[in-house]
Amino acid sequence: MKKSRRFATILAAALVPVLAATACGSSDSGSGASTPAATSSAETAAGSDTATSAATGESPADTSSAAASSEPAESSGAGEGSTSAGSGGAAPDCKVPASGPLQFATDKAAWQPDFESMNDKSTADCGLSINFTGYSDAAQYDAFIKQGFQTNQKPTLFTWHTGDQLKELVDQGLISETTDLWKAAEANGDVPAGLIDNYTYDGKQYCVPLLVAYWGMYYNKKIFADNNLQVPTTWADFVKVADTLVAKGIVPLHQMNIIFEFVWFQALLVGSNPEAYVGLGTGKTKYTDPAVVDAVKAWYEMANKKYFIDPGVQTDPQTLLKTGKVAMAYFGTFFTGQLTSVGMKSNEDYGIFALPNFSPDVKKQQMVLETGPLCVGKGSQDEQAALAYSAWWMGQDAQQAWSDKRGDVSFNPKVTVKDPALAEFLKGQGDWEIQKRWLEATPNPIYTVASPAFGEFVTNPVADPMPMLTKIQEAADKYWAGK
Amino acid sequence: MAVALAARPAARPKRADDRYGWQAKGFAAPALVLVAIVLYLPFLWTGYLSFTKYTGVGAATWVGLDNYRDMFGNPDLINAAVNTLYWVVGTIALPVGLGLAIALLSHGLKGSFWYRLPFLLPYAISGVAVGIIWTFILQTDGALTEALQTLHLPGQDLRWLLDSPLNTWVMIIATTWQGAGVNALLFGIGLASIPHGPVEAARIDGASGWSMFRHIYWPMLRPLTTVVVGLAIVGSLKTFDVVWAMTKGGPGKQSETLALRMWKATFQENQWGTGAAIAVFLTVITVLAAGLYLRRQLSESKSVV
Repeated sequence: MKKSRRFATILAAALVPVLAATACGSSDSGSGASTPAATSSAETAAGSDTATSAATGESPADTSSAAASSEPAESSGAGEGSTSAGSGGAAPDCKVPASGPLQFATDKAAWQPDFESMNDKSTADCGLSINFTGYSDAAQYDAFIKQGFQTNQKPTLFTWHTGDQLKELVDQGLISETTDLWKAAEANGDVPAGLIDNYTYDGKQYCVPLLVAYWGMYYNKKIFADNNLQVPTTWADFVKVADTLVAKGIVPLHQMNIIFEFVWFQALLVGSNPEAYVGLGTGKTKYTDPAVVDAVKAWYEMANKKYFIDPGVQTDPQTLLKTGKVAMAYFGTFFTGQLTSVGMKSNEDYGIFALPNFSPDVKKQQMVLETGPLCVGKGSQDEQAALAYSAWWMGQDAQQAWSDKRGDVSFNPKVTVKDPALAEFLKGQGDWEIQKRWLEATPNPIYTVASPAFGEFVTNPVADPMPMLTKIQEAADKYWAGK
Repeated sequence: MAVALAARPAARPKRADDRYGWQAKGFAAPALVLVAIVLYLPFLWTGYLSFTKYTGVGAATWVGLDNYRDMFGNPDLINAAVNTLYWVVGTIALPVGLGLAIALLSHGLKGSFWYRLPFLLPYAISGVAVGIIWTFILQTDGALTEALQTLHLPGQDLRWLLDSPLNTWVMIIATTWQGAGVNALLFGIGLASIPHGPVEAARIDGASGWSMFRHIYWPMLRPLTTVVVGLAIVGSLKTFDVVWAMTKGGPGKQSETLALRMWKATFQENQWGTGAAIAVFLTVITVLAAGLYLRRQLSESKSVV
């Protein structure tokens, strides 16, 4: 009896530090490590993939993660279980008490200074600020957020992806509804028509837009001037420009075999048959349909004519455009920030134009738009305050400050873009037909098959696209059959 | 109570032993609990996940052996397994072989440590950093291609990181650059510990060069070789970091290893069940390969003795 008691005492004494250590460990994993410096060095070292994905947060780019500290353990009890802020969307209504700075997580680690610079304004307007946790590896970040929902430290405010990945969280009831915020924002004219579709599931809205990017063609003005080239307005003009450049020994176009391997597929299909393009995202179009096959054949044709840079070149796209190693790069408007970072001057060194539709039969200028959401975890600490912050975020003042800071386009139509090249590019906005980006429009099980297949195609283009497209269609058949 | 007290002296020695035993267990308990929490529990959890369909959120659905069935019928996994096999063969041949060569060639030389040191330095760098350095060298517009162009040497058109299986082989070379030094160090220690007697005797008998290596050094290095090769097998089976940093398993999925496939299935493709099944498969083959190899080597060395 005595013996066993003594053993129990020893065991208990021994266990205390172990349990304490494990508890600390688990709370660490929930809140992230505190090594903010890791990101920037890894980004610069790992080249283009990293720089691009750090800026956009699309896909994994390097293996390091960066995170800032966060510590809350106890819930403030505010807003537990309720679903909408009802703040009205205007700045004065955003004053909702919070237990401290709102915990904010994102895979856009490189944007830390920009996000933090908004704190002064949000504190002045609403008494709210954010505590930044940044990851630069998207897959790692996704796992971090998903695991966060399994703990009692549910993510409060976090960036995510629209499309299938947001649907997954919404279906699980993990995301706070934002229907009221959207109503107010639409009434206020803070969001453009159609954007709401990216955030609507079963007639209700979830999350608010963090950013939008339009996909346009960035071009090196000096190369165009030196070779007497004009900005093309038709596909035939575009081909002429590319052929001229090839003849002069200049690589016309940038491309990547990872992360953005799909963009030329997207550009060619949306510009030749928008209906088929939209159908891919709904299962109406098959990847083996003639429209898709023709688009990939056109893609092969371009590769065959040496329009693209070798995908093994891993120099940053912004550096390639600056040094004239490529004359043009097809990117989202987030690319402006990357060009600024290498010292290129907007509208002097580079310009942006809308890539002409591949087919002259498509009358409306097709424009691909990507949008990334800012979400609030349902039942998270400071849920109501985070929703109030979201409402504030959509407003004109916050968006003007954000756009000025980032030098980027805002989703808020009332915001004026100061960057001259972007402003010029956006002049055409009235004529655009907006399409979802392929990545967001494609369900994940199809994307994970198609993306490496496109990566292989970029690396080794083959004249017969059918084996590749059949493989993707098999995944699509399997996916849509389960719906 | 009185009875118990009276009986006490007789039982005392046994009790003291017992107490010691309990105390020892008590002191070992924290470590055991820690191991159970951070090692066995996750392992069991992974094992459980491998029989489920799980996306990282929501509940896991039991699917029995489906993940394993899908896994073995999946050409991506077969490709990853073949690449992993390249890694095993390449790692034994290059970092281990080169390490042995460096150790042998510098053995007995004055200041041999200084000959081995430069080979050892890359070991201080992490695998990811090695990958990044070698990416600068091997990418299409990288240092190697430019050097070959300047010197008008063949191989300028090779796309080192884009064509498979060339990319796997050059990544093995990158790992060799990092790993050969530490193997040389280990073999150096092994060579230094060989007693002078047999070496001198063999020399008097006229052995030198190859015959000295074949009949004296090689058999006497055997215990060390077993450890080095054993470590190389285990290390190469779980290759991840260099590939991740250099090709991300691409183009497409061409240079993926099993460890990379496991990671991608779990975190990119959101199929945690499949990822867990690959993890279990990888664990089984690693344990089997290392176990079989060590058992064979150790039983052979016993029979030699």
